[in-house]
Amino acid sequence: MDKSTSTSVRDAILGYGSLIVWAICYLGALLLLREFQLQGWVRIAVALLPILPFALFLSMVLAQIRSLDELWRRIHLEALAIAFPLAILLLMILGLMELATGLSPNDWSYRHVWIFLPIFYAIGVVVSVRRYK
Amino acid sequence: MKNRLRVLRAERKWSQAELAERLGVSRQTVNAVETEKYEPSITLAFKMARLFEARIEDIFQPDDNSNPET
Repeated sequence: MDKSTSTSVRDAILGYGSLIVWAICYLGALLLLREFQLQGWVRIAVALLPILPFALFLSMVLAQIRSLDELWRRIHLEALAIAFPLAILLLMILGLMELATGLSPNDWSYRHVWIFLPIFYAIGVVVSVRRYK
Repeated sequence: MKNRLRVLRAERKWSQAELAERLGVSRQTVNAVETEKYEPSITLAFKMARLFEARIEDIFQPDDNSNPET
């Protein structure tokens, strides 16, 4: 395995590893806050716990983006340029539909939007990759 | 912007992957430049010129209708 390949493998492990740690912390915090009667500052500390692994994940994503060549950086920039307005569109539609039909907040609300963000980003990447293919 | 990258690469019998490695970019970038779907940065254009021992304007030519002075 050459140096650049082993660096890529290491970066991928760190990236996915930090994502998994963040997911575990988030689900763990969710479980603790829902199922246990924690008091005062402990509840706040548990709620803020996922910030640390997420910061690590973010630094890994940034390092990954910076290691890309100029075309791939542009592809990711265009993906963001697609994902961001799509997220705003979804928020706008949710707000209007809430007024129009009284959507159940248990099924559709602003707190469900984050699930769609990686999907919008993936759509953006696919659209942009196809453009330069 | 038109370019002669594919011709210059073919003259040296390099694959896209080989050229990409020499330039330090991905194969997709080389392909996108060759098919004129992507215009490289000035830094990458200089790298290409140095690699092919040519001037940038020998590799890249503006389209007739892209001259800002006309």
